[in-house]
Amino acid sequence: MSGVVDVSRSGSTRLTFWQRLYLPAILRGMAVTIRHLARNLTDMKRLPTILYPERKRDYSGRFRGKHILKTREDGSLKCVACYMCQQACPAECITIVAGEHPKVAYEKYPVVFDIDMLRCVFCGFCVDACPKDAIWMTRDYELAFFSREEAVFGIDKLIEKPGLPVKDGYGYRPYYPGDGTNPPRDASAVAVTPGQGDRSLLREKGVPLPSRDAGPGPLNAPSQAEARS
Amino acid sequence: MSAVETATASPASEKLRERLAASPLAGRAKVSDLDLPTVEVAPDDWPALARFLRDDPECRYDLFLDLAGVDNLRRAGAPTRFEAVVHLHSLAHNRHARVRVPLPDVEKPSLPSVESVWPAANWYEREAFDLYGFDFPGHSNLYRLLCHDAFVGHALRKDYAPGQRWFYEESDLRIPEWAKETGERAGHFETQTISIGPSHPATHGIIHLLARLDGERIVRAETIIGYLHRCFEKMAEKHHWNQVIPYADRLNYVSAMINGVGYVRTVEKMLGVEVPERGQLVRTILSEFSRIVDHAVCVGANLVDIGALTTFVYLYQNRENFYSLMEACCGARLTVSYVRVGGLAIDVPEDFVPRCRQLLESIPKFVEDVETLIHNNRIVRDRLQGTGVVTREQAIAWGLTGPMLRASGVPYDVRRAHPYDFYDRFDWDVPVSNDGDNFARYLVRTEEVRQSLKIIRQALDILPAKGPVNSDDWRVVLPPKDAVYHDMESLIYHFKLVMEGIRVPAGERYEWIEGANGELGFYAVSDGRGGPYRLKVRPPCFPNMAAFEKIIQGGRVSDMIATLGTLNVIAGELDR
Repeated sequence: MSGVVDVSRSGSTRLTFWQRLYLPAILRGMAVTIRHLARNLTDMKRLPTILYPERKRDYSGRFRGKHILKTREDGSLKCVACYMCQQACPAECITIVAGEHPKVAYEKYPVVFDIDMLRCVFCGFCVDACPKDAIWMTRDYELAFFSREEAVFGIDKLIEKPGLPVKDGYGYRPYYPGDGTNPPRDASAVAVTPGQGDRSLLREKGVPLPSRDAGPGPLNAPSQAEARS
Repeated sequence: MSAVETATASPASEKLRERLAASPLAGRAKVSDLDLPTVEVAPDDWPALARFLRDDPECRYDLFLDLAGVDNLRRAGAPTRFEAVVHLHSLAHNRHARVRVPLPDVEKPSLPSVESVWPAANWYEREAFDLYGFDFPGHSNLYRLLCHDAFVGHALRKDYAPGQRWFYEESDLRIPEWAKETGERAGHFETQTISIGPSHPATHGIIHLLARLDGERIVRAETIIGYLHRCFEKMAEKHHWNQVIPYADRLNYVSAMINGVGYVRTVEKMLGVEVPERGQLVRTILSEFSRIVDHAVCVGANLVDIGALTTFVYLYQNRENFYSLMEACCGARLTVSYVRVGGLAIDVPEDFVPRCRQLLESIPKFVEDVETLIHNNRIVRDRLQGTGVVTREQAIAWGLTGPMLRASGVPYDVRRAHPYDFYDRFDWDVPVSNDGDNFARYLVRTEEVRQSLKIIRQALDILPAKGPVNSDDWRVVLPPKDAVYHDMESLIYHFKLVMEGIRVPAGERYEWIEGANGELGFYAVSDGRGGPYRLKVRPPCFPNMAAFEKIIQGGRVSDMIATLGTLNVIAGELDR
C-alpha cells in the first residue's frame, strides 16, 4: 500500500519559452526516431517486424490453431464420439454423429465429425474436454476459405495423416511429456505417450487424485436432487 | 479475502438500517445483509430513497455504478417477475451498496427515473428499457440503446425467443427532435446536423455521433451506440459458467485477461473457492501487463488521431512482445481464454519469469521515447491541454471511474479501495490529476503504466517458483489429464464438469475489479444450475461514452476527436 501521486503538479504542465518555440522539441523527437532507424538498419535481425509469409512467427507449443484428430496405431480415430467436446464448445461449432464401430473393442466412433471454422473461437475447450486424448490443436493458423461450406472441416481435413508431418507442428494439447504441464521447446518434435498405470502408480508419480469423498462443498445439494428426480 | 469481508460485513448495513429508521422512509425500505448491504424498496419510494442515499451524510452513495434488470420468470422464490437492481458506491465512506426494486406490474413494469439524482442513470435506464421493457417515468430520452429502433420485443426477457430476426433499414433510424429543426437563429448562420460515423476512422469501432454544428463548434450532440451489440448477457444465460470465459474475453478485447479475471472472481466468490497464491499472482502479473497494453493502445491510438503516427508504432511494439508472452502461456494472443473458474487453464511456461523481467526492461524504454516525442511537443499540448475538460463534480455525477475519474481529481482505484488478490501487499501509488482535461488523462495513463510495472516487479518477487495454480476442488476445476485417462473417479468429475457445468449455489453476487478503463463489475445471479441465470456486466467505458455528448458540447470537432481518444471507448465492451 502506498499513497497517491499527483501528476498534474509534476512541474511539466506549463511549457517553457524554448518548448513554445516548437523547433527544439521537434529536433529532440527527430533524434529519437533517427536512433530507432539507425538501430533497425544496423541490426536487421532484431527488427520487430516479420517478412510474412516468407518468414513466420515462432509460436509456442501451446498455440491454438486448426484442430487435429489423433489416431490409434492402426490409423483409426481415437475419438469415441462421446460428445463431450461438442457439449463443451462455447461457440457450438462441433457436430458429431456417432456410429457403431465394426471392431468390437472400439465400440463407438464418429461417422461425422465437423468443425465449423467460421464459428470456432479457438478457445481450446474441446481439447480440455476430451477424455480420450483424441483432439489436439496445431499451429496452423492460415485458414482462409472461398465459401462458407468450405469452412466446415470434416474428418478428412481434421484427421492426422499417418506418416505425413503436421502442418506447422502440434499446438495446444492436454498432455505434455514430463509433468504434463510444460511443453518442451519444440513440442511438435516430441512423441507423447500419456502416462500408464493405475491409481497407485499415479500417486507414486505425484499426480494429485480426488479423494473418494470430497465432503460438503460448493455443490448445491437441492438442485442436484432436483436434477435427479 | 479479508478486505472483501470488511467491505461487506454487517456494520455498513447496520448503519444503513439505523439511518433509514430515522428517516421519513422508515418502515418502507428493508435492509438485508447479502454480499453487499442491500436495500429493498417499492418503485414509488425509489426516488426518495435515491435522494436519501446520495445526500445522507452517513451514506453519501454518490457514484451510480450500474442498473441491472432481472426477469424472475424461471427462478423459484422471487416475489415479483421483474426487478431492477442498482449498485452504488460511496466515495466518502468507500463502500458499495445494492438497491433492489421489485416491480409488481408484470404487464407494464415501471419505476421512476432517478436521472435527476444521478445523471449517470440516464443510459443505464435506457438499457433496461431496451432489454427488459421497464418504463422510467420522468426520463428525458427514453429510447432504445443497444438494440436498433426496428427491434420488436425485449431481448433479455426470459420469454423472448432468441431466434427472431428484425431487419433494420435506413428509414428506421430515429432522428431526435432537436436534429430535425432548422437551426436558424438571430445573428447566426444556419447550423446543420451531420452524422460522424458509424464507420469513421476516428471512432475506433463503430460509434455513431449525430452532431449539430455551428461552423466548427458542436452545439449539441447525441451518441448512437449498439452497432457491435452481440448479446453477451443473453448468450451467458445459455452457457455454462466456464463457457462464458471466451465471451468475456471479447468485452474489452484489448485487455482480455482482466475481463476474464473479473468474471471468474465473481463465480469463485459465489462458490467460495480459493485460488492458490501462485495462480492469483500469475493472474495479477498478466492483468497488469494487459493494463499497460490497454493504456498503450489508448494513448497510441489517440495520438494517431491527432496526427502523431510514430508513437503508435513504438507503443505497439510492447504490445506485440506482451502478446508473444501471452501466447506462450495460453496459446492465443488477443482473446486469451486463459483463466478458468478456480485458477488457470494451464500453468505458465518454465521461462515465464525471465520473459516477464525482459518485458519489464523493454517497456520503460519505449515509454521514455514516447514521452520525449510528445510530452513537451507544442502541437500535442495545444490539442490536448484544456480540451475535453471534466470537472470533479461532473465526473462523479456522470458515474465515471478509472483514469477518467482519477484525471478529474478523485483518487478512486478499485485496487486500492477494495484490494483483491494481493494488491494490498504491493507498494504503488494511485496517479491523480486535478486538471480533468485530455492531457491530464494522458498523464494519468502514462503514470499508471509505471505503477503497473512496479506492481509486476513486486509480484514477480513473491511468485512461488513451483506450486499449483488451480484449486484442487474437482467439482470446480478439471482434474489433471493423466488422472482422467486412467482413474475412474477423476473421469467422473471431468464428465460432470464438462456436461453439466459447475453447480454454483443459488444466490447473487456483485464483484468488481479495476479494469483498464475503470471499475469492471459483474453481477451474477445463479439458480443452482450449471450456468448463470443472469449475468450483468458493468462495462467501465459505458458511462464514459454516456458522458461524451456532454463533454464535447460547445467544443470544436477536432477536440471531439481528441476527447474520444482519451475516453478509451472499446466498442466490444460498450455494446456487449
